[in-house]
Amino acid sequence: MSDLEAPKRPSVFERKDIKQTVYFWVVFTAIIGYAAAELQARSMGVSASETMSTTIHMMRVFTWVAAPIAGLVAAMAMTTLISKIHFGDTPPEEADHQIRNATKLSATWLIVSSVLCLFAVVWGTVVLQKDNAALLNPQAMNVNVTGQQWAWNFDYIDNGTVRSQDLYLPVNKPVVFHITSKDVIHGFWIVQMGIKVDANPGYTTETSATPNKIGIYDLRCAELCGLYHAFMQTKVHVVSQADYDAWIKSQGGQA
Amino acid sequence: MTTMMDRPAATPGHSAPKKALIERLNIFTAFALGIIGAIVFYYVAKAILPANTDGSYIKSNNDQYVIFSMIGWFIGFMTGIGALIGPFRWLLGKDLNHDENMFYAGKDQGVKRYFRYTTDHKVVGIQYLVLTMIIFFVGGVLAMLIRTNLGHAGGGWLQPQTYNAIVGTHGIIMIVGTIIMITGPFGNFIMPIMIGARDMAFPRLNALSLWLIIAAVPCILSSFFLGGISTGWVAYNPLASQAPAGMDGYIMFICIFALSTMVAGANITTTVIKMRAKGMTWNRTPIFIYGVVASVALALPAFPVFFLSQVMSGMDRAAGSTFYNTMGGGSGWLYENLFWIMGHPEVYVILIPGVAALMEMAPVFTRRPLFSFNLAIMGIAGISGLSILVWAHHMYTTGWAPLLNGPFMLTTELISIPTGLLFLVLIGTLWRGRLWMTMPTASIYALLWNFMIGGITGIYLSDVPVDGALHGSMYVTAHFHYTLMGAGLTGALASLVYWFPKMTGRMFDKTLSWIGFWFVQIGFNIAFISMFFVGLAGQPRRVEAYAAMFSRGNMITTGGAYLIMAGMLVLLYGVISSWTGGVKAPMNPWFAKTLEWSVPNPVPLENFDVLPVVTSDAYGYGKAQS
Amino acid sequence: MSVETHAQSHHEHPDVVGSRNRLGLILLLVADISFALAVLFVYFYLKGQNVNDMWLPKASDTQDATVPVSSMGAWYVTIIAALGLLFHRYGLAGAKARNQTQLVLGSGVAFVASLAALIYQGIQMNNAPFTITMGAYASCYYLIAGLNMVHLFLTVFVSLGNWNRSRLGIYSADHWHVEIVKVWWTWMTISSLLGAFALSFT
Repeated sequence: MSDLEAPKRPSVFERKDIKQTVYFWVVFTAIIGYAAAELQARSMGVSASETMSTTIHMMRVFTWVAAPIAGLVAAMAMTTLISKIHFGDTPPEEADHQIRNATKLSATWLIVSSVLCLFAVVWGTVVLQKDNAALLNPQAMNVNVTGQQWAWNFDYIDNGTVRSQDLYLPVNKPVVFHITSKDVIHGFWIVQMGIKVDANPGYTTETSATPNKIGIYDLRCAELCGLYHAFMQTKVHVVSQADYDAWIKSQGGQA
Repeated sequence: MTTMMDRPAATPGHSAPKKALIERLNIFTAFALGIIGAIVFYYVAKAILPANTDGSYIKSNNDQYVIFSMIGWFIGFMTGIGALIGPFRWLLGKDLNHDENMFYAGKDQGVKRYFRYTTDHKVVGIQYLVLTMIIFFVGGVLAMLIRTNLGHAGGGWLQPQTYNAIVGTHGIIMIVGTIIMITGPFGNFIMPIMIGARDMAFPRLNALSLWLIIAAVPCILSSFFLGGISTGWVAYNPLASQAPAGMDGYIMFICIFALSTMVAGANITTTVIKMRAKGMTWNRTPIFIYGVVASVALALPAFPVFFLSQVMSGMDRAAGSTFYNTMGGGSGWLYENLFWIMGHPEVYVILIPGVAALMEMAPVFTRRPLFSFNLAIMGIAGISGLSILVWAHHMYTTGWAPLLNGPFMLTTELISIPTGLLFLVLIGTLWRGRLWMTMPTASIYALLWNFMIGGITGIYLSDVPVDGALHGSMYVTAHFHYTLMGAGLTGALASLVYWFPKMTGRMFDKTLSWIGFWFVQIGFNIAFISMFFVGLAGQPRRVEAYAAMFSRGNMITTGGAYLIMAGMLVLLYGVISSWTGGVKAPMNPWFAKTLEWSVPNPVPLENFDVLPVVTSDAYGYGKAQS
Repeated sequence: MSVETHAQSHHEHPDVVGSRNRLGLILLLVADISFALAVLFVYFYLKGQNVNDMWLPKASDTQDATVPVSSMGAWYVTIIAALGLLFHRYGLAGAKARNQTQLVLGSGVAFVASLAALIYQGIQMNNAPFTITMGAYASCYYLIAGLNMVHLFLTVFVSLGNWNRSRLGIYSADHWHVEIVKVWWTWMTISSLLGAFALSFT
């Protein structure tokens, strides 16, 4: 090459490794994002409340937000992996550079991750406020929940002295649960409604949900509570208001 | 950097005419005195403690006897190993002289020094390595029992009580194993050489930290014969106060282990701060050192809180106090707070050294400098600092303080920023490097993959509403296995292969390291990815039986677990066969630039004949650009 | 090239060794401070929660109401500990001035003070008008007093050794041991004070 002509440095986007990386990035982001978001959302099953729907939606969005980062890391790792690889008992030639820093890149990385983090916090806080506000809803019906080794008891305090071991709820009516325990800590968890709070001895905790789909759902204990923890589960029957009233009457309460 | 000189001829051993006390003590006297102590304390307790008649909150005297016996064991064991000689010699004003210190360091004792209260950091490192492998073996067998039991729905062949005990013991013993897996073997053997020191700052405390753990392990193992730890590794009260006497074994185990981490933390931190070689300024200190110090320094304020929580748990059980008993004004939330104030920093105590070790290896195997050393330090410091402010994200769903969920969500999600920096450093180092494919190199890839999954699932869990759906499910179990095992243990296994030549003088068998690596990583991902899905579908943690809808996922997990077991057994065989008959290692098999590779194999008693003077950092790889 | 010989490493300057030991102790104290602060957290958390109104149980058929002990006892222990600390510092000043008599006297009295505080603390625990089973306050009282006992026991050991070594003249050359014992004494006094402070709120 002539001394007069300085070797032309290819622009960043013309470099082979960069092109490769960008290609991998797009592909990996799509694969990771789709697989993680869809598979996870699908395996969360039926949603029986708005809380659960929001949760599934949040999982999807968080996954898609995180996918480009995971995709970038995977793409850079992959480009390195397929370009210069060396087996053997002695080291390869030294790398052809000694780059120790890339200030702009690092700053971009920091800013992007901070923004994503901020996004997660803000959105989480907004949803959290909504969940907290639901506890104060005056229209809500109240159910007292008592956990004990290894059963649940439900007292429908708005309907006289009705007690049951299966939970019955009218559809589309907000309900606030007041939860306590007789012995050790249990975890009150209605799987398809995406709500969970511990039942603590000596305290009463609260959570709320609005079931929006008629059906039979699972209530499981989410906190190890001794010998038959695995079997401390029961069913949640979400029924129409008329069916609920009928059930309450059959139990000797007033609707 | 270092000048090697022939070692001066060893001074003739000053063998005393009569055997001194310290020469007669070893692991056998320790066990003998420990057992005698336990028996004596048992009968003393039986004789002096009033029989429980007032029937307050104490169920029986059983817990008192068990705890007293274990205290007796502990005192007897520590006396028998010779841990008390130093303090009492100080008290009497007869400090150990040079020859005695040399004896303590294991000079000219051959293989016997591995069974004594030896202060040489290299001996302690090897002892830690073997101890860690034993702990992992026990924990691994328990894990296989769990997975075998969960192989099909509707309850397996284990009784609920046995199953719960296995889950609890697996949890706590693996936690302890992973806490010591890097700072123990490599933090003790490699770290002082890496910083150019002749030994630790406090060699006797170093031995103490090891022998405390050895004294503690029988306490946890004895719990199998006392009804087991049926509470999960968290041992939440009031469930723990109902548990059988095996719980007392857990309590003693944690108390003694907390002492050990405290001693080790003070020792390692002091060593790094005060004993680095001349010229090793903070920006020339290898990143692995930062990882080790962050880990042990984080444990310093964290573990005493755990210690206290267990002291109170023991008092509730044996003395009838009411710290956690709501009938007497106690609170289960108090326990949960104390536990997690330790519990979350502890996660990073496990994770950070693993990541830092791989950061240390990345430049070696890519032949380029570590990318952005400063960001790596910021990442480690940021994680450590934030980790003490996030404990209550384990308690989002306990209802203890709903108003604090928001702030704790903020601090928790902030951790993703310094964690991201660790990714940046690793990927930046890989990028455009010339990969030298070895098992540690592949481990960097495995770490990026596993830790990415562990990290992103952590973001879901840190979000309060999402946690409402996922907390207490198998999803959480899978998540923390991805961080502690997928990231932490991957780093530890890579460290084992990487530093094996320096520690044993032989190369780790290459083929076996690859076979082990692939079995473990593939098995791990099979096992725990499917665990995420059963968690999402609603399978709670720590259950011995589950609904039929979860059977497919659980079967896959069990299959993956068997692959992990196969891989770990291959690695175990690799350790044994390479150690006994492997290829002799050259002084610097990886052509690395840190100081530990500048000393010969086997490493001489005080590491350096001439202390090195450091003039640059250890990452000067790559061709200088003209 | 500067060559440091093998033998020199065993004769590090006492100041180097001293500062290393001092840092080591301070790091150990970080752990102990964390423990003591957690004890305070326990006390105030349970007091604040007052679960089932059982922080201070009322009288019932089977047992009397729990009456909190006066915190004065805890303050007296702190005062004795502080006196010990003062005498230890007096001894340390003697060591600095190479005054052997003052060193032995100061460390001797400090030892006596630690022993007195230990015994006095033991008597108090023994004479408390309630047992550990009587509610959260009683449990916390024994926890705080017990922590103090452990601290004082360690202080007795350390100050006995310090006095003995002073007596033997070991500190005539360098006295960083005495400095380090001072750091421990100071923290022990503060921890005792924190306990007394907590017990002042019932």
